[in-house]
Amino acid sequence: MIQSQAAPQQASDDIAVTLKGVNKWYGDFQVLRDINLTVQRGERIVICGPSGSGKSTLIRCINHLESHQEGTITVDGVTLSDKMKDVEKLRRDAGMVFQNFNLFPHLSVLDNCILPQRRVLKRSKAEAREVGMKFLTRVRIPEQADKFPGQLSGGQQQRVAIARALCMEPSLMLFDEPTSALDPEMVGEVLETMVELAGTGMTMLCVTHEMGFAREVADRVIFMDAWQIVEENTPDAFFDNPQNERTQNFLSQIL
Amino acid sequence: MFDFRFYEIWRSQDYIDTLILGVWNSFWLTVVGSFFGITLGILLALAQGREMPLWLRIPAVSYVEFIRNTPFIVQLFFVVFGLPLLLGYAWSLEASVVLAIALNFSAYFGEVIRAGIQSVPAGQSEGAMALGMSRWQTIRDVILPQAIAKVFPSMTSQFVFLFLTTGLVSEIGVKDLTWAGRYVADRTFRDFEVFIVLTILYMGMVYLFKGGFALMFRAAFPWWGKSR
Amino acid sequence: MIGFLQSIFGEFYGKMIFILLDATQYTIYLSLVAFIGGGLIGLVMTVLKILPNRATRIFATSYIWLFQSIPLLMLLFLIGLGVPSFFKVDVSPWLAAGISLTLFTSAYMSEVWRGALESVPNGQWEGARALGMTFRQTLLDVIAPQALRIATPPTVGFMVQVIKGTSMAYIIDFTDLMRWGKKIANSQVPGAEPFIVFPIVALIYFALCFPLSQWSKAMERKQALGKTR
Repeated sequence: MIQSQAAPQQASDDIAVTLKGVNKWYGDFQVLRDINLTVQRGERIVICGPSGSGKSTLIRCINHLESHQEGTITVDGVTLSDKMKDVEKLRRDAGMVFQNFNLFPHLSVLDNCILPQRRVLKRSKAEAREVGMKFLTRVRIPEQADKFPGQLSGGQQQRVAIARALCMEPSLMLFDEPTSALDPEMVGEVLETMVELAGTGMTMLCVTHEMGFAREVADRVIFMDAWQIVEENTPDAFFDNPQNERTQNFLSQIL
Repeated sequence: MFDFRFYEIWRSQDYIDTLILGVWNSFWLTVVGSFFGITLGILLALAQGREMPLWLRIPAVSYVEFIRNTPFIVQLFFVVFGLPLLLGYAWSLEASVVLAIALNFSAYFGEVIRAGIQSVPAGQSEGAMALGMSRWQTIRDVILPQAIAKVFPSMTSQFVFLFLTTGLVSEIGVKDLTWAGRYVADRTFRDFEVFIVLTILYMGMVYLFKGGFALMFRAAFPWWGKSR
Repeated sequence: MIGFLQSIFGEFYGKMIFILLDATQYTIYLSLVAFIGGGLIGLVMTVLKILPNRATRIFATSYIWLFQSIPLLMLLFLIGLGVPSFFKVDVSPWLAAGISLTLFTSAYMSEVWRGALESVPNGQWEGARALGMTFRQTLLDVIAPQALRIATPPTVGFMVQVIKGTSMAYIIDFTDLMRWGKKIANSQVPGAEPFIVFPIVALIYFALCFPLSQWSKAMERKQALGKTR
């Protein structure tokens, strides 16, 4: 709590994302309650909580895959409005990795990386190709470049999805339960990729249940329950000395 | 007991030429009509999307329903005999027929493609939009290729079904395969044999089209069925 | 009836619409004949196709293949023009149109029904047979009721194809809505131009077909909802 209240006083250049008083409803049903959050540039945040607690909704609101009704969300100094131009600019800056990868099955792995660069960044084919190979190498699957997503394992597909997002050179990466759809033996390779990415200083917001990852990488852990932020703290304090009763319950169930 | 006289048909070079010309005319009228029909069908399918404004959706749905619930022959007669009077401008018979075929096919293809678009998982457009792609880029580069691949088999059988109705254009004097058959039958008085030959020619064309579609599918969607 | 129509549409158009509606009854009769006849033959073919007997299966498969491949227009010509000239017999337009559309309908119907039977999970056959039920009992008491539910929407939907198909029968001189529409459009009478007559004809066909296709769609939607629940 201390960090998020201190944040607004800092220079806005150092702030990647700000959420102020965000509320969201599906019809009459409230799915986000008064969310306030400030993410520093380079900060790595893990959001956890029971399923249905609103954490995926929160992260999907940040790049406007879902819209909120009250409050403001600012990403890289751009405050979200419904203007399509703003939304598209914001989505360029925020890379997103999904639970189900959402790779394009009709394009080869490399073409998955090339298409958005060509269409959105208007890069030349050669440049897009070069950048694509660079990031495929970074996630250690350059040899799969010409295969189709369906021919890869789940773990490989998720690494391609990370590479594809990185090709857009985002200033911020959003992860929406990136390992939840994977077979257990493939979780490791994806987490490893994410740890490496964290090492490059990328700003990261991760919705995940991988507490080992949270402890190793996160600057801050946020616990959500019943559509609001219940507790946030450094990983050590969060895991060793949870304050809220609901957090304690949650941790006792998953650890 | 049966006195088949197929030889009456190939006795005359004129009959053979007429039949060959008929095959060719049926072929190109259908292909050209389908080309425009599929293009228009894609637009009709897109116009029915949930995020489209009502002033686009309602005419698109009405058009598709109206065409699908009325016989092709009535549409053909309207386009060929009605439209020129209505517009005060007459174009060639072939152009009218292509137009009628395209208008008819577009509704059926539109319906099939619409189902295909709906079957593409929502995650695909979310994935594209999260990368900053615009709505139109998402539709063109991500949704449509997958949608068409998915419904390609139904498009093929729909195409065959529609192709088998194109013989009706002989009614307005277009020299298609059916017209050629009637031309030969009227001169040889061997209606039964002629229509058996015609049926075989139509079947042959159906297999030709099916083969062509299969080749197109493999060329256009090499990724289909490629999984671990 | 004609007086009523004339009071709404005026004397000229009232009469035109009356003639067209009067002709529509033959379109409906022909559709019913084709649907009932085609349904019965289609049912027989479906059963022959799934009987555990090679000969009947081959026969049914060939039948379905043959009459699905022959364009309806060719069937009409073959039976309406070919048969009379070849066998030197009289075939009335009614008979020719009825037989052609029946054959056409039967092939498509049995294809639809076979698909419905096949979409009943194999476990249902095995389960029933394991309980000691005979082939007949299994088919009639277990499989058919489930298949019937699946088959109803496409069967109703195919009615639309049959009605549209009857419009081709005018080619062999069958007197129906289409034939009268064409006659009136050719009459050269001012006010009965093709661009007026054919839309009216189309609207009448639409009035016959649209309710059926909507009904079929509604049933399909209901089933899809039931499945996801």
